[in-house]
Amino acid sequence: MQFNRRALLNTFIATLASTSAAFAAEPAKPLIVGMELAYPPFEMTDTSGKPTGFSVDLATDLARSLGRPLVIQNTSFDGLIPALKTGKIDLVISSMTATEERAKSINFSDRYFSSGLCLLLKKASTAKGIADLNQAGVKVAVKKGTTGHIYAMSQLKNAQVLVFDKESAAVLEVSQAKADAFIYDQMSNYRNWQRNQETTRTLLEPFQKESWAIGISKDNSALKDQVNQFIKSYRTSGGFDKLGDRYLKEMNVEFKRLGYSFFL
Amino acid sequence: MLMQKRGQPVTLAAQLLSWCLVGLLMAAVFSFAFSQLKYGWNWAAIWEYRQKFINGWLVTVAISAAALLLSLLIGLLTALAQRSSVLPLRYLAVLYVEAVRGTPLLVQILIFFYVVASAFGLNNRYVAGALTLSLFAGAYLSEMIRAGIESIRGSQRESARAIGLTQLQTYRYVIYPQVVRQLIPPLTGQFASIIKDSSLLSIIAVGEFTLNAQEVNAFTYSTLESYLPLAVGYLLLTLPISLVSRILERRFHFAT
Amino acid sequence: MQLEFCGICKQFGARPVLRDISLKVPEFQSLAIVGPSGGGKTTLLRTIAGLEKPDSGRLRIGQDWLAFTEQALLAHRRSIGTVFQGYNLFPHLTALENVMLPLVKVHGVARGQARDTADALFKRFQLLAHAHQRPAELSGGQQQRVAIVRAIAIEPRFLIFDEPTSALDPEMTAEVLDCIAELRAEGRPLIIVTHNMGFAREVSDRCLFIAEGQILEEGRSAELFSAPQHPLMVNFLAKVLRY
Repeated sequence: MQFNRRALLNTFIATLASTSAAFAAEPAKPLIVGMELAYPPFEMTDTSGKPTGFSVDLATDLARSLGRPLVIQNTSFDGLIPALKTGKIDLVISSMTATEERAKSINFSDRYFSSGLCLLLKKASTAKGIADLNQAGVKVAVKKGTTGHIYAMSQLKNAQVLVFDKESAAVLEVSQAKADAFIYDQMSNYRNWQRNQETTRTLLEPFQKESWAIGISKDNSALKDQVNQFIKSYRTSGGFDKLGDRYLKEMNVEFKRLGYSFFL
Repeated sequence: MLMQKRGQPVTLAAQLLSWCLVGLLMAAVFSFAFSQLKYGWNWAAIWEYRQKFINGWLVTVAISAAALLLSLLIGLLTALAQRSSVLPLRYLAVLYVEAVRGTPLLVQILIFFYVVASAFGLNNRYVAGALTLSLFAGAYLSEMIRAGIESIRGSQRESARAIGLTQLQTYRYVIYPQVVRQLIPPLTGQFASIIKDSSLLSIIAVGEFTLNAQEVNAFTYSTLESYLPLAVGYLLLTLPISLVSRILERRFHFAT
Repeated sequence: MQLEFCGICKQFGARPVLRDISLKVPEFQSLAIVGPSGGGKTTLLRTIAGLEKPDSGRLRIGQDWLAFTEQALLAHRRSIGTVFQGYNLFPHLTALENVMLPLVKVHGVARGQARDTADALFKRFQLLAHAHQRPAELSGGQQQRVAIVRAIAIEPRFLIFDEPTSALDPEMTAEVLDCIAELRAEGRPLIIVTHNMGFAREVSDRCLFIAEGQILEEGRSAELFSAPQHPLMVNFLAKVLRY
């Protein structure tokens, strides 16, 4: 009697183990997320070289909800959309503004963050707003492929536009007074001003409001629906607030003091 | 038919047939590669930006031409300085050559523009960029020129002396004509390098060919449609140089 | 032509090559300088050619004492024709251009005239067919003959030959020696350093034997070669004429 029950139990356990092993044996396809790890505090690396930041945590939580292992692909900003189009990455989570032009090439998820274009100026600049920069002899620095670049090319026809690969190069030019202004987002310009207080000043009021979204290939509407679903539930569960607390608290306080704000 | 028998000249038919075969092979390889890409070609987008390509190409030509001329001058002066009997001059030349040949061009561009040029009040990045390229190529050229001069055997200088040529005349009629002929292959190689290296100037926002193509890519997200014309544009500059070099080499070929 | 040495000394580093040479050579048309290797004959010849400056001493060629300033030496070199053992011609120029170079650039002769002079000389020495060839395309003998043409085209005061056939095989040696003999027969003054004793005896009026930095014998060639006095010269001739 005991022997039979024992045998039955063993068989049961063995069957259970093998079926779950069968399930586990089929690995989930990794979720490859492209971002440029040069945009603190959203996309950056810690001292050991590991990706970290707002977007990294967002990607991690998204991947977990989809049950897929996360792979982060560090790609230069202007290379993100081509990488998405050629299928090298599945998603772009890189604080990318959803513009009409870009939407012609790729799909965007629902918006998850509001930001705006503003100015980092050289100390000697007397400009009071973006309109003051649209003059001959003015040099405006932009980062290649960003909305600042697009704005400068289309709206600042009289100024000379200097296009740089990296944010740091553009900031260097402004701090060395080789360029009059750098068009970028509020958080970065604030931080860059903090680090270069003797050589720069800022106009942090955004002259163009923008929203960020996650980029998805036009061929992948299923993934787009999944991402939108995630964003909705993440917001209601307070996930974005937690990220804001973790990475943007100090800036939030400072901006509130200055009268600006950004929204998650 | 497609083999060249040793010592026999190659017939025109054989040349044409062989080039056709190579062309077909390349076409096959590239068609296969591109057919594997799931890529939506969008040539219309970059056609809109064709002026940017043209402008960038012209800037590249201008900077490369200026750099070539200037680097020739710098190379010549440096080669002479290295053979000079004035010691500080010689050491300065050696220091310059070693420093430039031992560091990457990218680093030189950044240091020159952000440190040296600023110190001297040179703010025009196009001029600074051309200067950096000239100094870079000049160091390599000076070594080539120096090797060329030293390869002229002492016996020729003796002979020149014996027929009563002055130092200057010896350089002008005996040494330099030979050095120039010897230099044609490496010189054209250097020119092609200058043209290609000029693409690095994009790092200081010089609006040359490569940067302009990258900008178009940034606006239109058509990577291949931007970069293929880029490659063709550079080839348009470097191939003729290569061709001229081969022709000149054959014309001036003589045994020493 | 006249030649006088007065206390000529030359040292290369620690090695003395010409030791206090003093000699007045009687009038001659062609002079041969012979001697063992390392004995100083090439250095002596180069001093006469204005290519080497002695450490001390004076030298008279013809009527004038040669001043050893760079300017005087340059003028002197321009007035004489020198042919070395080899590598006389410039490899990037044709035979014609090689001959015309000193005429046009050193002596200021008009190109057309220089061309005519060169052509005439080429014709005379059967080199016309090679006028537009580069030295690499010429045989050793042809190269030396072109070098000789280059030397005489400028109408030099005298000619100097430094072992002109040492690098040639016997057949080419003969054609070059014939050339030199012809020049001698024309009456051109020449000084020649050679290993070829037969030729030296044949083509020179007077001869110098130099060994160990000193001129040990000097005299009329006929007498010197048949009856050498100095033991070193006796030895030397015996060795050289053995084969």
